[in-house]
Amino acid sequence: MIEVIELKKSYGEVEAVRGISFGAQDGRITALLGPNGAGKSTTLRILSTVAEPDAGSARVAGVEVTADPMAVRKQIGVLPHNSGLYQRLTGIENIRYFGRLQNIAPAALNQRIDALVEQLDMQEFCKRRTAGFSQGQKIKVALARALIHDPQHVILDEPTNGLDVMATRALRDIIMRLKQAGKCVLFSSHIMQEVDALCDDVVVIGSGEVKFDGTINALREYAGTEDLEEAFVQMAGLGEPL
Amino acid sequence: MNGFSVVFAKEIIDNLRDRRTLISSFSVSILGPIFFVGLMVFVMERALGESDSATEFAVVGAQYAPQLISYLEQQNTNITRVEADDPRDLVMGGAHQLVLVINPDYAERYQRGNINTLMLVHDSSELSSGRRNLAQLRGYISQYGRIIGNLRLWLRGLDPSIATPITTQELDVASPAARALTILASLPYFMVLVVFMGGFYLAIDTTAGEREHGSMEPLLTQPIARSELVMGKVAATSVFGLLSLLVFLISLYIAVPFVPFERVGMALEITMTQLLEILVLSTPLIVFAAALLTVVASFAKSYKEAQTYLTIVVLVPTLPLILAQLMNVETTLRIMVVPSLSQATLMSDIIKGETVAPLHMLTSMATTLVYASVLAWLAVLLYRRERILG
Repeated sequence: MIEVIELKKSYGEVEAVRGISFGAQDGRITALLGPNGAGKSTTLRILSTVAEPDAGSARVAGVEVTADPMAVRKQIGVLPHNSGLYQRLTGIENIRYFGRLQNIAPAALNQRIDALVEQLDMQEFCKRRTAGFSQGQKIKVALARALIHDPQHVILDEPTNGLDVMATRALRDIIMRLKQAGKCVLFSSHIMQEVDALCDDVVVIGSGEVKFDGTINALREYAGTEDLEEAFVQMAGLGEPL
Repeated sequence: MNGFSVVFAKEIIDNLRDRRTLISSFSVSILGPIFFVGLMVFVMERALGESDSATEFAVVGAQYAPQLISYLEQQNTNITRVEADDPRDLVMGGAHQLVLVINPDYAERYQRGNINTLMLVHDSSELSSGRRNLAQLRGYISQYGRIIGNLRLWLRGLDPSIATPITTQELDVASPAARALTILASLPYFMVLVVFMGGFYLAIDTTAGEREHGSMEPLLTQPIARSELVMGKVAATSVFGLLSLLVFLISLYIAVPFVPFERVGMALEITMTQLLEILVLSTPLIVFAAALLTVVASFAKSYKEAQTYLTIVVLVPTLPLILAQLMNVETTLRIMVVPSLSQATLMSDIIKGETVAPLHMLTSMATTLVYASVLAWLAVLLYRRERILG
């Protein structure tokens, strides 16, 4: 379970996050929906322990991220904005590196890698160096790397960015499977259709604030329109005259 | 310690696969000693050649002073007899570098006891070999003049020494061996440079490079202490510095026997013990270099920016060594607390075969290790800040 309460974070003069609160439950997929620059990535980075909040609280499985980042890091799997792979290492080596950093015993690690290679359908390319990988192949390796320690919480920052239709569908399947396994999945997106197809809960963020928090259907009702895109535009405050 | 060894192993493997890193780490190490030996051989051959070669010049009007010419021919000379209306043309036209002109009235003036002025035509903008010929010829002629003058004084019953109240004697210690030694003194500079160049690209790749490729952020979400992460990176950078120096020393060991030291009456042997001493002495400097490069590269936002910073950083500890070498810095305890300078001074002593005081060696190693630790600690502090993500 992930809880965020009154989170605030500024970079210099820019207030990226201005008091965001929401929750993400186990066994459910929660989307952080918002336009570019709304504060999604900053919120996810605080939850991933790589950025520190100015105020407020962010908890993963009840643990405050600033109080015990080490414990939190063992509980989360993070897929960053760009895949961030090591180009001179093979797919497998990239995954194994993080597995070792998670201190997984060698035998168990090999088993886990084999399982992930099969699950994510990476047999064909995983033994090659990642330098020439397609965007879809990179995301798969980065996802396997994030899931190597079987974390209870999975944080995905715009995972479908740059993926083609097939790769997007494959990724959706994987996210659904994580949900079925009872994981807490939190991902950010600015694409309505994607959120509609996948999510149980939606948190709409605009200008560093929460504009809506509830289920997809509640969002439709709240906005008073069946058209989700219209609802999103209204929620995020994008419809207001500039 | 798990995190440390995992990061360390990954950085080593990753960078061994990088051609750019390998080239920059080992090219100086391999080519340095070869270049160095080539330069030594060149300088020594030149020095040997010069001291043996005859003084070359042309003479206009040789027939007017047969005795002088026969005296000059007995010296180490190579004389060409020429005829010319204007001897200047011979030099300006490039036919000869040096021309001695004897006037037709030489014999007459000689008989009368008048001063005979001989003209030496040369071009002072010419190369050093021409200048050396001039100085030698001038010396031979004045020597001949002194002999004649002394004979004349004897004939008149006078002691020739009354005409020469003061004389000078020259002793040129710049033997070919000494010249070779000057070049040898540049070795420590190379060794320190190699230590810094060995870890150069690794320091960038593990910091600014990692950030630029976007792998820094996921790495920082792993449950590993920042101190272990940084130490793993600094250790990997150190290993490349160490390997680079090792390759340099091996390359030197192989190349030095090709220098014909015995021809200049010099015995220089670089033994395994000396190389080992240099290696041990340099270990703290290697860690110091790795930590310094890592700290500075961590401030850079991109690979290119890091490259620029580090180029300057490498110059700071290496360039002053050239100056120190010219000033012939003495090995004192005060020098031993200065990283890079202390190692260079001690390396120089070791190469010359002088015994190194254990106190000096220990002071150098201990103080440099302290600086290295401070720098490494600074790197850890930098990684604890979220700004490291840029």
